[in-house]
Amino acid sequence: MHEPDIHDLSDDADYAAASKQGSSSMSRTDSSKRSSSSDPEDAEIVYLKDNVTIHPTQYATERISGRLKLIKQGSSLFMTWIPYKGQSSNARLSERDKNLYTIRAIPFSDIQSIRRHTPTIGWQYVIVVLSSGLAYPPLYFYSGGVREFLATIKQHVLIARSSEDANVFLVNNFQDPLQRTLSSLELPRSLAKGSPSSSFKGTPSDERLDKGTLEDNQLSNNIQQNNRQRQKNHDPARDISIQVLEKFSLVTRFARETTSQLFRESLVDGHGPAEKRRNNWASKDHQRQEIASNDVDDDVPKRVPVASDPLEFEKLSLVWGQPRQHPLGLEEWSTFLDSEGRVGDPNALKKRIFYGGVEHNLRKEVWGFLLGYYSYDSTYAERQYVVSVKKSEYETIKNQWQSISPEQAKRFTKFRERRGLIEKDVVRTDRSLSFYDGDDNPNVRLMHDILLTYSFYNFDLGYCQGMSDLLSPILFIMKDESEAFWCFVSLLERLGPNFNRDQNGMHSQLFALSKLVELLDAPLHNYFKQNDCLNYFFCFRWILIQFKREFEYEKTLRLWEVLWTHYPTEHLHLYVCIAILKRHRVKIMGEQMDFDTLLKFINELSGQIDLDPVLRDAEALCVCAGENGAASIPPGTPPSLPLQDGSIYQQQDDEVL
Amino acid sequence: MPSRRRTLLKVIILGDSGVGKTSLMNQYVNKKFSNQYKATIGADFLTKEVEFEDRLFTLQIWDTAGQERFQSLGVAFYRGADCCVLVYDVNVQKSFDDLNNWREEFLIQASPSDPENFPFVVLGNKVDVDGGNSRVVSEKKARAWCASKGNIPYFETSAKEGINVEEAFQVIAKNALKSGEEEEIYLPDTIDVGSTSQQRASGCDC
Ligand SMILES: Nc1nc2c(ncn2[C@@H]2O[C@H](COP(=O)(O)OP(=O)(O)OP(=O)(O)O)[C@@H](O)[C@H]2O)c(=O)[nH]1
Ligand SMILES: [Mg+2]
Repeated sequence: MHEPDIHDLSDDADYAAASKQGSSSMSRTDSSKRSSSSDPEDAEIVYLKDNVTIHPTQYATERISGRLKLIKQGSSLFMTWIPYKGQSSNARLSERDKNLYTIRAIPFSDIQSIRRHTPTIGWQYVIVVLSSGLAYPPLYFYSGGVREFLATIKQHVLIARSSEDANVFLVNNFQDPLQRTLSSLELPRSLAKGSPSSSFKGTPSDERLDKGTLEDNQLSNNIQQNNRQRQKNHDPARDISIQVLEKFSLVTRFARETTSQLFRESLVDGHGPAEKRRNNWASKDHQRQEIASNDVDDDVPKRVPVASDPLEFEKLSLVWGQPRQHPLGLEEWSTFLDSEGRVGDPNALKKRIFYGGVEHNLRKEVWGFLLGYYSYDSTYAERQYVVSVKKSEYETIKNQWQSISPEQAKRFTKFRERRGLIEKDVVRTDRSLSFYDGDDNPNVRLMHDILLTYSFYNFDLGYCQGMSDLLSPILFIMKDESEAFWCFVSLLERLGPNFNRDQNGMHSQLFALSKLVELLDAPLHNYFKQNDCLNYFFCFRWILIQFKREFEYEKTLRLWEVLWTHYPTEHLHLYVCIAILKRHRVKIMGEQMDFDTLLKFINELSGQIDLDPVLRDAEALCVCAGENGAASIPPGTPPSLPLQDGSIYQQQDDEVL
Repeated sequence: MPSRRRTLLKVIILGDSGVGKTSLMNQYVNKKFSNQYKATIGADFLTKEVEFEDRLFTLQIWDTAGQERFQSLGVAFYRGADCCVLVYDVNVQKSFDDLNNWREEFLIQASPSDPENFPFVVLGNKVDVDGGNSRVVSEKKARAWCASKGNIPYFETSAKEGINVEEAFQVIAKNALKSGEEEEIYLPDTIDVGSTSQQRASGCDC
């Protein structure tokens, strides 16, 4: 059980500094308000709270404090959260982190719901979910005030408590359907953009509001910069504000000019900074690789001109993708082990597997390490011991549900429902594979038992659809029930948040994905933005089950072992998403796909994706994004270990509503 | 210029996991049943051309995941629906009890312009199982519920045997068309015009 951090804030330097910052910026706000008071319809701050804080990592000491405001302008209510300038508890949190999380004047018409968490110990926080489906990270109210916050909102916009969860407040969402009208938020997607009732989005008054209340904080974030540039320059292809990308396009050009050179040295020879890698890329041979990517998108009927890829990605993949190697075989594997079976250099092993994968007959052994079931410094003997101890531990947990009698089950709805779900799903999982096909297949039975046991091992998470997809390859490789179970447990340590009830794991990955696309392909990002595709739900299945449904079985095994190395990054899967999207960017934008068409298109890519080139592209993109890429991914985003505060809240009655 | 609405009819299929939504959709569109459909993750749709009163329509049938944990995704998919199909399994009491939730959730998330008259169709699926012997929800009970919700049309189906599937979807298409035509009053032809520039100017995109 995790002990929540309880901080005495009085001797907390960060806290004190933040408070000071808060009061000084208050006066700035006032003056700026005065300066824009010539406006007939001035913005009014109806709620202001200092020391509202984001915890970007699982460490409570790392946080970004800021000021939360509700601003009323005309009939619209906006929310802003601006981090304090120059205060950071930890050097790891840069200004860029702050920019990433800054909430600029989000109108309540764009907010779907607000979930309140009131833990018995620790700070209260809220999670704001946008109507696009994305959510902001939790906002912790260090100085209290959640109730007041909700009460203020209630005075200005229609909010209603969800009938499902008393801590969820639906914004602009009427519980009695009869009362609903063509409200601004809830119009059909195609109409909402053009309807008069929603036209305050992005009106001049919105701009004015930004200037009046936000610029004084002197936090120019990427979005603001982008907007300004866009006004000046309408070519979206040139709309890149991120310096590093400009540098990289120089590298691309340089690389193209050095085609005749051929260097066979390894691309990345350590965990060095991007600086070092850059030098290496510039010297990559590209002729050899040109052949591989000629087949992409060349039969596309181009109906509209498409903004060119800012990374000149087609060329980039020619130049930089590291060729895939043959899989790790038995002989080479033994060179990684000492006489007693320890892996001497785990990083070298991971790197090797990242570039080539593992031969099938070795997977059972190697996956145990990659998933964390075995530790790298364990000996043969220790591993044998672990296997036997874990086996009896597994049996104990399994026995918990096996000993439930039919009489007992009758009075145990939750158990019956879970079992029912699992029974339905295991017979719908990889039945075309001989390992799982036919009636009364014992492996299907094993899958069932493991999943039900897991739902007892982690009763809070329980069973959720998608889990059987994650288990299937693991059982297929491990064969043994207990070993498959524990490897599955390890995998879900990292991917469990994908299945959380509040979907926060999925939200944070989709959020990170949208940030990364913005970074790596601004025209595509703008296209998604203009076509209401920014929620990235079309990538939902990819992420939820790690592309399990997108590749043939054997390729999935390969992809997974590559992802599990966490070699260039834990979040390679997000770069894989971008690599696939980029391969089809011309088609997506050229054919002007709307959300529906795009979703269908993506779903139908299943089975059509060539893994190796995509992995190469993903690696290139990851290296290219460098630190900016890492900064775009909120800490705690799966498969990073999750923020450790999810399980300590409880529902409370609320006097506000 | 004819509105897009007139030719494309959007239908959403909802119901608990495993009641047979994917199977019903495939039985209707592809005329086949397979034991190998996977549990739906995210959402997908199939389209089918239907002829009605000498006009051609494209029925866009959306199939979503039944597990409640994924319901927050609904908002992206439900909007603009012309008809909602609620499916339960006649052999599973809970799937019937949950119909009410599905209906309400849909109305909240899709926000149709006239929720009171929004067309639903209810399907009691898997009537073939065990020759009807394992059935726990009677037709009478189901019809009573449908009547209480404004006379929702009701069908007893089997996606496996293809029982009543065609008939049900004809009514679904007809009702979708009716609601689509009514909506035209609210949805003039200006759907995409002028919206792009406005969208571009909008503020935060996160
Ligand atoms: N006997 C019988 N089985 C059916 C029928 N319809 C579906 N099934 C089976 O019921 C199971 C679930 O069917 P699906 O169509 O995948 O269910 P779903 O509603 O799409 O489920 P989710 O995707 O999980 O929401 C499958 O094993 C089907 O083969 C039916 O009419 N009769
Ligand atoms: Mg389905």
